[in-house]
Amino acid sequence: MTVAGDSDETLMGRYARGDAAAFELLYRRHEMRVWRYLERNVRNRATTDELMQEVWFAVARDALRYEPSARFTTWLFTIAHNRMIDSIRTNRRQLSLETLGHEAESVVQQLTADPSLSPLAAAVARDQAAALIQAVEELPPEQREAFLLQIEGELGVEEIAAITHSSFETTKSRLRYARTKLRALLKEYA
Amino acid sequence: MNGAPPGEDLPDDVDEHYRRASALDPSRPSEALRRAVLRQAADLAAERTARQGITPIDSTRPAPSRARRRAIFGTLAAAALAGLLITPRFLTHYASTTAVSPPPPVSRPKAAANPAANSLADAPTATSSPEIGGDKPSAPPAEARSMAEPPARSADASHPDAAAQGRAAARSAPAPMPQAPPPTDPAALRRAAEFGDIHGLQTLLEERVSIDGRDASGRTALMLAIQHGHTDAVDALLAHGADPNAADAHGTTPLEAAVAANQPAVVAALRRAGARAR
Repeated sequence: MTVAGDSDETLMGRYARGDAAAFELLYRRHEMRVWRYLERNVRNRATTDELMQEVWFAVARDALRYEPSARFTTWLFTIAHNRMIDSIRTNRRQLSLETLGHEAESVVQQLTADPSLSPLAAAVARDQAAALIQAVEELPPEQREAFLLQIEGELGVEEIAAITHSSFETTKSRLRYARTKLRALLKEYA
Repeated sequence: MNGAPPGEDLPDDVDEHYRRASALDPSRPSEALRRAVLRQAADLAAERTARQGITPIDSTRPAPSRARRRAIFGTLAAAALAGLLITPRFLTHYASTTAVSPPPPVSRPKAAANPAANSLADAPTATSSPEIGGDKPSAPPAEARSMAEPPARSADASHPDAAAQGRAAARSAPAPMPQAPPPTDPAALRRAAEFGDIHGLQTLLEERVSIDGRDASGRTALMLAIQHGHTDAVDALLAHGADPNAADAHGTTPLEAAVAANQPAVVAALRRAGARAR
């Protein structure tokens, strides 16, 4: 029986043997991580939807090819990275914040405060969230991707280096610069 | 503020800020996208199993056939009956062969003087069957308990009535505390809440689990369910007494998280449960 405590690798094995419930659990477990990784890299809702679907279709289709010796998340984010790169190459549209101003704005607006809550508390939460999301989106693409792979995919430097075809030192350096910049941007909102 | 030089890879508050911001960001895949992915995955699984001719592993599959169930039940019942019939004889024989010396009469347990207790002790059904409907349903039968007793009790059994007396004494003595099942890992509950696994969550909630256990960021299962938009999980947790005011390590309350995530239904449920803002 599929249970919530099963490891990702076990669930993949079960899905490969025909247990559809195992896939659903895997999907729910990693849905938001993959979503945020894609959305904050491509910064476009429609493209994110498209990529999200492609990534998970690929996971389902290639389940038999998955080697349990590799961590599932490494495999999953490798697929996500490759799909995203393909999409960028095809469309050649690295959208700026201006082109999707309404989307960026909606993120802020959707953080609607309950009128009976303290307006200050709601405003602080809203501003902090919006500021940091924007700060991540404003990182240089390589740094942004390395950061998102680490924090959303919970991948190590070596794994990120392998996925992005970069050296260990380069990846480490990207992560360091990303955090330094985010810290600096956050200070402006402190 | 943060004194870590840029060259160091120490974990810093940037990651934590990012996680908080992500939790507050209501952007998420649509339900239609989720359904499309899961449908495609289910179709592929069905195709795969049909092609390979293997029985699909499905947690919703029907139970074994009636004939098979009957066979399993019959085997287990026969084994249990054999155990009940054979064990008392074996224990009596064991007690008489391991006796060292008869106990002095004054050392007899008080319960042995009670004829009612003796007659009860001699009745095989009374000693070998579980105490159905009793206060201590999990206490093992007297014979089973005597297996774990120290040798002194076996020595007592050398008296003609010793075996029965020993059993009666064992019965009149305070029963050992029932072994409580080990507490469930609160992390499993948090995972189920985070992933919206409502069936797993319900199962865990029925066990002895710390419902307000926290992760490294101070988030309870309730907070995770709110942040990931699992309204059913929120309702289930509140119904089982989750603390509606358990703030995370940053002081964010469940109510604030629900408001920030724009979940009016959750806000209403929290309010009904007594949640308040800071």
